[in-house]
Amino acid sequence: MTDQADDQSDADLLAAFAGGDRGAAMVLTQRLTPRVMGQAYRMLGNRAEAEDVAQDAMMRLWKIAPDWDADRAKVTTWLYRVVANLCTDILRKSGRGVALDSIEEPSSDAQSVADTMQDTARTQALHGALADLPERQAQAVALRHLEELGNPEIADIMDTNVRTVESLIARGKRALIAKLSGRKAELGYEDDH
Amino acid sequence: MKMTTDDKILEAAFAQARVPDAMPSEALMDRIMMDADSVLADAMPVLERPRQGLGAMLLDAIGGWPSFSGLAAATVAGLWIGVAPPAALTDLSATYFGSTIEVPLWEGDVFAGLEG
Repeated sequence: MTDQADDQSDADLLAAFAGGDRGAAMVLTQRLTPRVMGQAYRMLGNRAEAEDVAQDAMMRLWKIAPDWDADRAKVTTWLYRVVANLCTDILRKSGRGVALDSIEEPSSDAQSVADTMQDTARTQALHGALADLPERQAQAVALRHLEELGNPEIADIMDTNVRTVESLIARGKRALIAKLSGRKAELGYEDDH
Repeated sequence: MKMTTDDKILEAAFAQARVPDAMPSEALMDRIMMDADSVLADAMPVLERPRQGLGAMLLDAIGGWPSFSGLAAATVAGLWIGVAPPAALTDLSATYFGSTIEVPLWEGDVFAGLEG
């Protein structure tokens, strides 16, 4: 693919793909997949599931290409929404909350084995707690605190207003704290604070 | 706003989960492009079959050029047998149908009187 294609906007490339340009799909795949995969991995904490979500989200992008309205939404905004929805679906169905003794022993030399296991346990506890939140709260919290997006952008992604986003995040965080507080000792937080 | 211990715990958990974008595997990129190809293939208009002339339709009906050449050879052979039948065939027909007779196509000389 040419440098010219690399400079084109996502919407222009999507329109070119809808017109039969395979090269446009290659540029979009290279450009968007790492971000899509990253969002899914941060929300799910599981690489295989994140790959499935990334593939599913990109497939939806290819299918919507002929009907894409560039004036209505940005491609990245639309993808944030699709990935957030797919991830909350998976979280809800899978039922996270992994027991500490089921965590595999890491091979890292840089950090002590116990510390690494504790970090993994804390991350998994967070994903488990996210899975228990109502879908909209989980999405708003993840977009704010894992993707570090601003509330106006989150409002665009979730097709709502900023006040609602603020409310969803506040309620979501309170629920997460309540869930994690009960596991402070198990997750080693009492030693840190 | 002052952070409570619980806020700090939650923030620490978020920080641990905020890993950089994961680099997709080659296999995933290939699967995504295969999906794009399948969508492109489905979107291609069905090619209209070119219109056929009468000759092409007849040729198709008899099975194409190989069948046509066989049919032509059989026709020539039949014509040749009619014009110059082999002796064996003449004897055979005489045996079955009696003696052969010749029937002139024209009575008399149709060109009589036309010569200059």
